Amino acid sequence: MDFKDLTETVTDIAVKVCNSQASWIIWLNNNEPQTLAVKSIGFVDAKLISVYILSKADKSTDAKTLLLNLDKFEDKSRLAEKFYSLAVAPIKTHNEVKGFLVAAKKNDLIFDDEDKNAVDTFSDYASIAIENSRLLEESIEKERLEKELDVAREIQRKILPSKNPDVENLSISSLFIPAFEVGGDYYDFFELSKNKFAFIIADVSGKGISAAFIMAEIKGIFESLAKTINSPKEILIKANEILERTLDRKNFISAAYGVIDKENETLTLARAGHCPVILVRDNVVNNIRPSGLGLGLSFTDHFSETLEEVKFDLRDNDLIVLYTDGITEAKNKNLDDFGSIEFEKILLANCDKHVDEISNKVISEVSQFSQSIPQHDDITLVILKWKHKIILDGENKWQNSTPQLQTKVK
Amino acid sequence: MAEFNTSVTDKGEISTIYLKGFLDAHTAPMLENTFSGLIDKNRYSIVVNFKDLAYISSAGLGVFMAFIEKVRDNQGDIKLSAMTDKVYNIFDLLGFPLLYDIFKSEEEAINKFKENKKLES
Repeated sequence: MDFKDLTETVTDIAVKVCNSQASWIIWLNNNEPQTLAVKSIGFVDAKLISVYILSKADKSTDAKTLLLNLDKFEDKSRLAEKFYSLAVAPIKTHNEVKGFLVAAKKNDLIFDDEDKNAVDTFSDYASIAIENSRLLEESIEKERLEKELDVAREIQRKILPSKNPDVENLSISSLFIPAFEVGGDYYDFFELSKNKFAFIIADVSGKGISAAFIMAEIKGIFESLAKTINSPKEILIKANEILERTLDRKNFISAAYGVIDKENETLTLARAGHCPVILVRDNVVNNIRPSGLGLGLSFTDHFSETLEEVKFDLRDNDLIVLYTDGITEAKNKNLDDFGSIEFEKILLANCDKHVDEISNKVISEVSQFSQSIPQHDDITLVILKWKHKIILDGENKWQNSTPQLQTKVK
Repeated sequence: MAEFNTSVTDKGEISTIYLKGFLDAHTAPMLENTFSGLIDKNRYSIVVNFKDLAYISSAGLGVFMAFIEKVRDNQGDIKLSAMTDKVYNIFDLLGFPLLYDIFKSEEEAINKFKENKKLES
């Protein structure tokens, strides 16, 4: 039964329990009183009398049922019918007067004690029923929101890879922890050919079901583009063009896309506004941060003109770390960030370990930091470790390479 | 989560929006309303002062994207100023400095507007 049905039933019964000729409810509705569930009285009459009642009635929490007559009611002559005596019972919920149940009799009929007690008792029951109905409506709304988030989480779960691919010379660890209000994190791997392996990490702006839908679109776009375009820069440019058709102006996506050439042992990378890709090599943390705007931030040539692509040789035990800001922006109870310095320290201290161990270490440190604070954004952490190919000529071909590294941690 | 609020001060043709607290998916509509209010009054020379902004999420960044086109179409601009390093870093990662003028102080942003006005006249 919804709120309206319930109030109708309440006034129906009120007429009967106290032998009155009319009944209605005055719902205070945050100081904008409404006249509801009018029974056996014209709406205009009920409204006129309600104004009078509100000038007399006690709205405090210890309000009791009040008996009134209309002797002093100035607008008496405007009433269509000669209503005279009233019983006004407060409807209380949470120790707050939410409204009044009114019963009215015509001519010289009055409410006796028995009638008054009946209204009194009945209004108590009605208060409870009305409060329950309101709570139910609230919980239905809450349930609807939760269902929506369930759907969003389900979309996200289906979009993300169910397991890590098996790639020669590459150990892969991936970890994803959704926030309660689903963020828009996405990562994926594409095995393009025998020698080429691609990865993407992305973060859709906003939260909930709309972010999940954009994420699904992003997956579709990259999955199909990866098949035909090799260059990370070209893929990001093309993806941006496609997104212009569907993306709202206020939405955007940060992404980083990389291609590993297993034969030549190189990594080619482009970044569209995403967190830097971290390369840990020789006990140094390098933030690789080529220039690039987030997808959806500009649909002019500006996007392609500012997008850089970098390429460097891979060396034995190179650790490539992809992540979303859910890690670096994890908060503690003082609302401090976990921070990138702390993150880099953990990577550095554990870079000799297996990729899964490194990942576990990061996550346990993050959760220790933000314990008792609900996780407000998705967390994604993908760690790749390159194992140098055994080359027969014994010469390490990477020795003369100069990777483009933007910043270093001392 | 923590509070957010905005206030607006008009200095001649230029309006400054002051941001305070946490700007995220839940509080972004408040800033949208502030921008809409200025645009309704045809005030298109807008400086945003980030001095007291503690945090901005992607949904918060989206608000600036939502209005910039409309503002620039009307010969105005949204200039950003006085960000803490932390907030600037979030804008910087996404490439916002390529799209928006970002200044160390509100005064510099206001002066930039005035310079442009002089050049036009």
